[in-house]
Amino acid sequence: MWLSLNIIRDMVDLDGIAPEEIAARLTMATAEIDGIDAVNRHFETVVTAKIIDVMKHPNADKLTVCDLDAGKEKLTVVCGAPNHKKGDIVALATVGTKLSEEFTVTETKVRGVNSPGMLCSEKELGLSDDHSGIMIFPADTPIGVPLSRLYPDRVDVRLEIDNKSITHRPDLWCHAGFAREIAALFGRAFKHPVDLSIAKTFTNSEPLTVTIHAPEAAPRYCGLVVKNIRIEESPEWLKSRVSAIGMRPINNVVDVTNYVMAEIGEPMHAFDRKKLRGNEIIVRTATDGEPMKTLDEQEHTLTAHDVVIADAGGPIALAGVMGGGDSEIDDATTEIVLEAANFNPVNIRRTANRYGLRTEAAIRFEKSLDPEICPAAIVRCYELIKRLVPEAEAVTEIVDAYPRKHSENRIETSSAFIRKKLGQDIDDARITGILSSLGFGVRDSGGDLDITAPTYRSTKDVSIPDDIVEEVGRIFGYDNITPVPPMVPCAAPARNEFRLFERRLKTILSRDYGLTEVSNYSFVGEAPLAALDLDEGLELRLRNPLSQEQDRLRRSLVPNIVGNIAFNQRYSDAFRFFELGRVYIKKSRTDAELASEQTRITGCVYAKTPASPLFYDARTALTGLIGELRIRGVQLRPIDSGLPPYAHPGRSLEIVIEGKHAGLVFELHPAVRQRFDIAGQAALFDVSVDQLFAAKKLERSFTELRKYPDVPFELSLIADRFAYAEEICAIAAKSSREFVRDASVVSVYSGEQIPAGKKSVSVRVVFAAQDRTLAPEEIEKLQKGVIDALGKKGYALR
Amino acid sequence: MKDTLETLQTNTLAAIRSATTAAELEEIRIRVLGRKGELTGILRGLGGLAPEERAAVGKISNEIKADIETALGAKKTDLDGAAIGAMLAEEWIDVSLAGPASSKRPERGHLHPISQIQYEIEDIFTSMGFEILDGPEVETEYNNFEALNIPDHHPARDMQDTFWTEDGNLLRTHTSAIQVRGMATHRPPFRVIGPGRVFRYESTDASHENTFYQIEGMMVDRNISVANLIYFMKILLKEIFRREVTIRLRPGYFPFVEPGFELDIHCLICGGDGCSVCKQSGWVELLPCGLVHPNVLRYGNIDPAEWSGFAFGLGLNRLVMMRYGINDIRHFLSGDLRFLYQF
Ligand SMILES: [Zn+2]
Repeated sequence: MWLSLNIIRDMVDLDGIAPEEIAARLTMATAEIDGIDAVNRHFETVVTAKIIDVMKHPNADKLTVCDLDAGKEKLTVVCGAPNHKKGDIVALATVGTKLSEEFTVTETKVRGVNSPGMLCSEKELGLSDDHSGIMIFPADTPIGVPLSRLYPDRVDVRLEIDNKSITHRPDLWCHAGFAREIAALFGRAFKHPVDLSIAKTFTNSEPLTVTIHAPEAAPRYCGLVVKNIRIEESPEWLKSRVSAIGMRPINNVVDVTNYVMAEIGEPMHAFDRKKLRGNEIIVRTATDGEPMKTLDEQEHTLTAHDVVIADAGGPIALAGVMGGGDSEIDDATTEIVLEAANFNPVNIRRTANRYGLRTEAAIRFEKSLDPEICPAAIVRCYELIKRLVPEAEAVTEIVDAYPRKHSENRIETSSAFIRKKLGQDIDDARITGILSSLGFGVRDSGGDLDITAPTYRSTKDVSIPDDIVEEVGRIFGYDNITPVPPMVPCAAPARNEFRLFERRLKTILSRDYGLTEVSNYSFVGEAPLAALDLDEGLELRLRNPLSQEQDRLRRSLVPNIVGNIAFNQRYSDAFRFFELGRVYIKKSRTDAELASEQTRITGCVYAKTPASPLFYDARTALTGLIGELRIRGVQLRPIDSGLPPYAHPGRSLEIVIEGKHAGLVFELHPAVRQRFDIAGQAALFDVSVDQLFAAKKLERSFTELRKYPDVPFELSLIADRFAYAEEICAIAAKSSREFVRDASVVSVYSGEQIPAGKKSVSVRVVFAAQDRTLAPEEIEKLQKGVIDALGKKGYALR
Repeated sequence: MKDTLETLQTNTLAAIRSATTAAELEEIRIRVLGRKGELTGILRGLGGLAPEERAAVGKISNEIKADIETALGAKKTDLDGAAIGAMLAEEWIDVSLAGPASSKRPERGHLHPISQIQYEIEDIFTSMGFEILDGPEVETEYNNFEALNIPDHHPARDMQDTFWTEDGNLLRTHTSAIQVRGMATHRPPFRVIGPGRVFRYESTDASHENTFYQIEGMMVDRNISVANLIYFMKILLKEIFRREVTIRLRPGYFPFVEPGFELDIHCLICGGDGCSVCKQSGWVELLPCGLVHPNVLRYGNIDPAEWSGFAFGLGLNRLVMMRYGINDIRHFLSGDLRFLYQF
């Protein structure tokens, strides 16, 4: 929204205050100012000058050289126009005048003749589109006068308001609102532009009635009939002002209604009275399917949620949004009905959105305008029309239907409360002074304040003592408040153990195992799920997805991780990364209960040409993580069935914590690699962070160091190729729970000397006793025990 | 002619059945259906036949061609499946072993830049006595809007375009929802922050994302004032930026605070003199804050006559972007390691 300082100046004296200062103070106290724009600034340096003599240019036929009297100085410029002669008074743009963004007048040589200035056409000056020759003023025009004095209305400074910063302030959608703020901020008087006494001149000689059938939707409607209208172009001052605030001048009546809206904030409408059917204006809800054509020639089919202004023949306006095409004023209009009304913001917002008509009127009404302004707007409109068309005559009094009287908000608070909330010592007089300057009524009895908010602040934004705190604070200036440390208890905060745990996981994986953290969207689409054979339709859907690729919430981190692999292999032959994030699990997708949000950690090791199976890298990272987290009761179980379809059945290991499935280490199934065009191999782990967190942790406690020597025993066995070496170690360990301290795989070999389908596994078993050195015969017995136990399970010595 | 065709069909289908590799299948396809293939040759020779015979033979030829193609496709699928099956057996490894790691000890990995700044800021708050809270990312309309003094039809609901889920809930549009949960579980006085992922229904471009990160903060005590808020913000921002920052509070409207503010800081690029980053204003809008609206306290069963508080919201993506000069917010969730390796 644009604010014209010329319009503001009608309401508050701005003498001695720079526009920049106004913008700065408003930004800090009222609303964000996006920019300051000087309108026709060049009028300051374009002056009237009299042509003393015109000579032919020595080097160019179409150019002339003009001697000028510019009042303070005499000078000679070159001119290419065809229409000037000695004695004419013309517009001289002096050196330095910026005529447009691209063009600034400089002293130049034109075909060898020096020209310290330029004579301008009306188009060059921005006064009209006339470019047939330079502008020539009437002969009695004074010489040496800047255009800004000849056309004072054209020179303006305008401020651009950030509309988002005033959505909660219905009173600020006009110049009067800002003028009031400026007056309060600079300690000057505010003068409202409306003189209500003009209404006394209205005569009630013709009929007009207004009936409101929908008082909730339309709390007030004021109408006035004005006769003897002449539709014509607006005068210079009005056109200048309307243009300065970004509206296109149309004709005198439309310009006046627009101007009044910009000036005091009430959207107005004028109907051509002769096009109305009957003398009754009816405000009602539309019937479903009722047709209507708006001013912009659009045909609409209305619903029972829309409010219309109607006459005996049907809708004549979509209330608060746009007038109707059939009652529009035109060049032949001589009688009008002026409307100033008030509508329910919710209705307006819905109707404006339903028909895509976010008009200036709708934007204002949806902010909750003050209905008290309606008669003033009618009076102001009439006053301006009368100024433009003196024969105009109000032939009704203001017909005012006002079934829902709007009242002022009363707020009881105290200056002590305001000081306490701001944390700043502000004396009582300053507090009441600030409130009065903003139009609040204040009764101060010893610091207890009985405050009446003005009607224009009572529609929604000021209703509680805290709102008063803001009013005082912002005008006092937040920059003037002395910062004070809060007085709060000195206490260590409760620790969020889960978050600290997440952080430890991430740190271990990145620091110790070289995995980089990625973060993916919580969304997933159908395509990757289908490619992973996971599309079971269990994901919670969005009602309003932005795209098909992001139309549901993930139940697993794996699909996006696989996508990350496919993406990153383009740039790198080997990488490892992980994501820690939430998945969203619903038992029933439509059940209103919130999704169960579970945290998972999913990691990946990828190489285009791995030297050995990447499975072991992923396994190392995960078991290392589990080890460092000291998680108790973890089992690692080889698994080849019941796997998710993306896992390689020959390269999968299940993580079981306290007997419950907690995750998986696996390589990607070859079919998935093909479908995602993944060259090379990728091993993943995918584990529940919630289970890791909840699992019991190994306590640290001291065990007496063994005093007696370890006795190692190595043996090699023949096993089936698909046998798990871990099982061999487990059998060896169980052969004597008392004396076997450790059993581990030393090497696995297959090849020469080993039959096909078999492999050789070398195992190292360590015996020791807690209380003595083992005797040779004891050792022999233990060794035999290991061999027998393995033999029973079919593992023969090699 | 018909016999020739049927013989060709029988022989070809037999050859397809006995093929054992994809290469063999391809050979058969070229031999029979290729540009110079046997069936193609027969079809070319049709020109010499009478029109009615040509039509009949043409029809049979096309049927045979379709049969052969179907057989080729089915066999190909079988062979691929068998190949994958063979591959699976071939690739069987002993997963019970700790196994040999394929590479030397890897380089150190990188934490996501958002995690890094989040932890840094969490530590600052923890050192100042704030407890860290969590909340769900799929929230109820009540916690995200209503309990924050944003009733139905409130225009502020439009300001935060919302993703709705089919179960009638929504993706939280701000971490303020964590505040609501905090008030339900904590009795004043308290100091809490709620970091997390938030969502907006918004098309993405270099400066807009549908998913980003915030940290919500709230302090509730007996006499919390605007003067306290200003003091606290100065301290906080000095810690975050590790230097003195000049701040200013402007009025800003957010339904859950009153008075509400936009907090600006002096542009870190030009120091307040004006440059292209701050659009010559010298100031950069950093975060919204304010005194907690009494209605919000009431929703949390906290008596506003006794307690007051301030609240603020920090956008983490913006902070990271400012710190490192990142020009496109979409990098954060791109999963592009080239981006992540830089932090
Ligand atoms: Zn700057």
